Amino acid sequence: MEAQDDSAQALKDCAPYVKFAKLDELLALGRANSLWPLTFGLACCAIEMMAAGASRFDLARFGAEVFRPSPRQADLMIIAGTVNKKMAAAVKTLYDQMPEPKWVIAMGNCAISGGPFVFPGQYAVIEGVDKLFPVDVYIPGCPPRPEALIEGLLKLEEKLTGKRRWPVVKSE
Amino acid sequence: MNLITPQPPGNTPQPVPASTPAAAAAPTVASPAGQQSAVASKPPAALVPPPPAPVLPNPLAHLSLPFRGVDYAAKGYHAEATVAPDQVVSVAEQLDKEGLSLDTITGVDWMAEGQMEVVYDYFHPAKALRVVVRARIPRDNPEIATILKVFPGANWHERETHDFFGIRFLGHPNLTPFLLPEDADYHPLRKDFAQ
Amino acid sequence: MIAKEQLKTEISADGAPRETFVINLGPQHPATHGVLRVKMTMDGEYIVRAEPVCGYIHRMQEKMGENRTYAQFLPNTSRIDYLSAMTYTHGFVGAVERAAKLQVPPRAEYIRVITSEMNRISSHLVWWGAFLLDLGGFTPLLYAFDDREKILDLLEGITGSRLTYSYFRIGGVYNDIDDTFIQGTRAFVAQMRPRLKMYRSLVTDNIILRKRLVEIGPISKEMCRKYGATGPVIRGSGVPYDVRRVEPYSAYSEFDFVIPVLDAGDSMARYLVRMEEMVQSLRIIEQALDKLPGGPVMAEKIPRVLKLPAGDYCYAVEAARGRFAVRIVSDNKEIPYRVKLRTPSLSNLSLFEEASEGMLLPDALALMGSLDLVIPDIDR
Repeated sequence: MEAQDDSAQALKDCAPYVKFAKLDELLALGRANSLWPLTFGLACCAIEMMAAGASRFDLARFGAEVFRPSPRQADLMIIAGTVNKKMAAAVKTLYDQMPEPKWVIAMGNCAISGGPFVFPGQYAVIEGVDKLFPVDVYIPGCPPRPEALIEGLLKLEEKLTGKRRWPVVKSE
Repeated sequence: MNLITPQPPGNTPQPVPASTPAAAAAPTVASPAGQQSAVASKPPAALVPPPPAPVLPNPLAHLSLPFRGVDYAAKGYHAEATVAPDQVVSVAEQLDKEGLSLDTITGVDWMAEGQMEVVYDYFHPAKALRVVVRARIPRDNPEIATILKVFPGANWHERETHDFFGIRFLGHPNLTPFLLPEDADYHPLRKDFAQ
Repeated sequence: MIAKEQLKTEISADGAPRETFVINLGPQHPATHGVLRVKMTMDGEYIVRAEPVCGYIHRMQEKMGENRTYAQFLPNTSRIDYLSAMTYTHGFVGAVERAAKLQVPPRAEYIRVITSEMNRISSHLVWWGAFLLDLGGFTPLLYAFDDREKILDLLEGITGSRLTYSYFRIGGVYNDIDDTFIQGTRAFVAQMRPRLKMYRSLVTDNIILRKRLVEIGPISKEMCRKYGATGPVIRGSGVPYDVRRVEPYSAYSEFDFVIPVLDAGDSMARYLVRMEEMVQSLRIIEQALDKLPGGPVMAEKIPRVLKLPAGDYCYAVEAARGRFAVRIVSDNKEIPYRVKLRTPSLSNLSLFEEASEGMLLPDALALMGSLDLVIPDIDR
């Protein structure tokens, strides 16, 4: 009995210093804080993605600055730009080559729904990348600001862990 | 979603009509003297014919090619010529000797006239000289010789024109789709293209 | 580089069999040019034939030209080459104004020059950062983007957008510039000059960069002319061709600036041309701010529904990558009959196949980076 009380007390004492969690939560936290994006800039949104990775907006704060060129080493595909019918096969191949668990962020209006390039009689653009595979987060904009990309990343982290790392910024 | 909203006729102000290319290029414009009214009230602007366009100097007059001088400020090029389709290669050779560079090759689909127009743009890298060469080919069998041997840069321009219009460039080694998918069998910039 | 004759033989001189293999560069690759695929037939590390395959970002810009009115097409113009979006809008808007004989007020012309030159600097900064990233140096990208953010802040203040501005409208510009912009731009010019000097001493004079670029990828004047290459490609090969000088447009004839031209024709020459162009752009911006006239920024009496008289009209501008020209064929309707976009990257890349024969793969990538391509510019 005493030994149990002691160990219970010991748990309480070290609670501020040692976190105990279910393994799932731990894995989710690890995954969310170290999302490795695939370098997949297709068009204009790619420049804003690069700006998000540069010093002012700094994706490194969220653990996501390690852009991997190879899909085998990435777990997040940020589709930044228009997906073409010619390119669709390559995008699908890249998605299939990524190992599970993997997530997709559709950045920009083109990736969400074809963007400004949809018109009656259009022959080349895939109207939204969710016609090819499931998308987790949609970031609208043409192009979205780097802050919007960061917000999308935080939303994805919230989807993974159930908690938001940073409260939503409310405008005054 | 059709973004072009038709405007009701009659209440849209028109810009001042510029002189048409035919008028600018013709040597003289005969302004019928009878229309100049001697009545004190000024005739409305639309009835007074435009003043005869000045004959512009042809910067390529020393070549025996049908070039016409064009008003650069109005059109953006200095000389133009309409040639027969079998002359485009010799025109390209002569312009190459003049030191011009190939700007672009494109097509225009004049479906109503049953013709396609192949437009060659050239520019000079040392002086202000932009030259346009046009050739019309029948729409149902659009073929024209390639100028690849003169200007290797024509390779991609001709492939793109073939992609968009279906114009066959005879002698081109690789007329496969350039901007369209490899298995594309449609020509999207034709006026009768429907998805 | 090795001689072409050595590449084609199947059996080498000492009897060992030699085999070529085909590898694929792209369409997804870390060099941030966009989606370009290059089918390379390799003999070891040497390129036998590099065939670029384009079309992976073909967005039907010319077809959309036949489906949009002149004003509705403006956002498309920014997205052809998003890094120097202002100059591309300038090309289209200039063609329409030339055709409709609209007189742009002088203040608008000066504002167009100032914003175009700022856009040119920001485009060259992205090129510089990405080029050095291709060559293996990551840090200059961060410095370049830091400077670029300052330009983007200024432009966002007047246009509302960071990357794809539709700031130039038919007849002028959309919004006047205010004192915040003018003072901010002057401050930017003042702090950019020492930064460029720092880039020169840290990067341009770096021995590793010099060994990677000097005498790599030579392009002759004749090759440039035959392929229609323009911009820093032709200026790095000894030809002083710049549309701002040869076919002056807007207010450029009123400014005193130098067109940097180098004779070497190698990748280092093209690199130095762009670095010097940034310095010259700063000069143009300063002169334009000093001489900025007052007045309106939009022409009067622009028809609400614009119809151009029948015929074809051209306009050419010097974009950051080279000569961008628009040809509008009109049949007197609200929408153009045909819009042809002559883009510099297509002509610049078309010489890659010939220029890269016999090169080592990393050298060929240095050559491709020095051509400064933006792939949506090729595919439109």
